[in-house]
Amino acid sequence: MDGLWIRAVAHRGAMLGAIWAALSAPDPEGLALGLVAVPAAVALSLRLLPARHPLILWRLALHLPRFLAGSVTGGVDVARRAFARKMPLDPGWIDVPPEPSGGLPGGARVALGGELSLMPGTLAAGCDGDRLLVHVLDRGGRFDASIPREAREIAAIIGHRRDRPQGGA
Amino acid sequence: MADLATLLFTALGLVFFAAGTVGLIRFPDTFSRLHALTKADNLGLGFIALGVAFQAESWAQVARIALIWVLALLAAGAVAQLVARAALMRRGGA
Repeated sequence: MDGLWIRAVAHRGAMLGAIWAALSAPDPEGLALGLVAVPAAVALSLRLLPARHPLILWRLALHLPRFLAGSVTGGVDVARRAFARKMPLDPGWIDVPPEPSGGLPGGARVALGGELSLMPGTLAAGCDGDRLLVHVLDRGGRFDASIPREAREIAAIIGHRRDRPQGGA
Repeated sequence: MADLATLLFTALGLVFFAAGTVGLIRFPDTFSRLHALTKADNLGLGFIALGVAFQAESWAQVARIALIWVLALLAAGAVAQLVARAALMRRGGA
């Protein structure tokens, strides 16, 4: 029962508790049921995704506006292409070297893929070994800087450092 | 005023849903179509949620509407990857 574990229980309990409160408020009986449901959900979540990395909340909070702005730009960009008479598309795959994503643990890699899929022009299709498979709508777009930047931000949110490999993570 | 905001934002949301559907029909391959579906529909749902939130009678309702959007967002990010992966494997690309 170390600090990492306590922190994970606190974070997940707060998040799942907030979801429960949103779902059941203002019914007091529903809220009372949450006293059983929320701890059970936290236990299940710790089983499915054990606490191996701390979630640094202020970094996550700093990341959110960028994520929202990116997903708005992503939607506008794809809508513009869909409605344009001459669809400006040059779809294809780009090679993302293992460097930005390879060091990330599995769950963070899925988060990175999900995030990239909502950002303008990129869509992740999982990994091939250490290589992240990314489909782009426009091969002329510049993604060589943006993808490593997302990877770095996600790594920072879970306090992950590439220069210090973590055993068993 | 609230009704006007609802009209405006839900109309904007519908434009993006339409864009997602147009992209689904017009874009040349499975992967490009996935781009259209995930990104445009996610934004469309966001605007519709924002518009509907102006009709909410309590903060709990606003929270519930926001929760719907967040869950759909998470699902969109995860499902897009799974569908892209499945399509890629069927093609023998990975």
